[in-house]
Amino acid sequence: MIGTLRGDRSGAILFEDAVLFSVYDERRKELLDILDDVFVIDDDLEARGFKGRAGEGTQVIDYLRAVDLVMEEYDQTITL
Amino acid sequence: MGTLTIQVRSGTMMNMDPNVAIKLTEAAMERGHKVNIFCYGEGVTFVKAGQNPKRFLNVGEKIEKLASLGVETVACETCCQARGIQRGEEVKGSKIGSITNDFSRFVSESDRLITLSR
Repeated sequence: MIGTLRGDRSGAILFEDAVLFSVYDERRKELLDILDDVFVIDDDLEARGFKGRAGEGTQVIDYLRAVDLVMEEYDQTITL
Repeated sequence: MGTLTIQVRSGTMMNMDPNVAIKLTEAAMERGHKVNIFCYGEGVTFVKAGQNPKRFLNVGEKIEKLASLGVETVACETCCQARGIQRGEEVKGSKIGSITNDFSRFVSESDRLITLSR
């Protein structure tokens, strides 16, 4: 579904268990192949014992940055 | 500044969605945005007064505090009725309302909508 998105810029914020996509290479690469940006919530990585383990190409962020992305930097949001 | 509506469909003790909802709300408020929370399905447990979890986030206390800071929290009446939550049992500052009147208003007034669901 994400691969069908069309826009000037497409990104994903990984919350909760979705942060695991940033840790496992195959899943991370799948996302990076179809999105311009992949953001990962640091608190949720740490809660699952993966702090510092987000892979190359992803950007680890806090909730304030997530709000800025949702409210200011992207035109639309969908939640999966 | 904009307006963010967060729709929650997970119950307070089901998973980490309540934590995410509260953290997003607090961060959005810190940035100066207005935040609405609409509780649907199991999410209506957000507004049940008297919550007393021993080891988890007390969502009811958070909702009451956020209400005092301007966050509008509304729970779906039909969902409340289905779970035996009556008017008068909601957390101070929250409201039992409806999709038709309240959620539609939230959506029309919002710049962004985030849904937290499993």
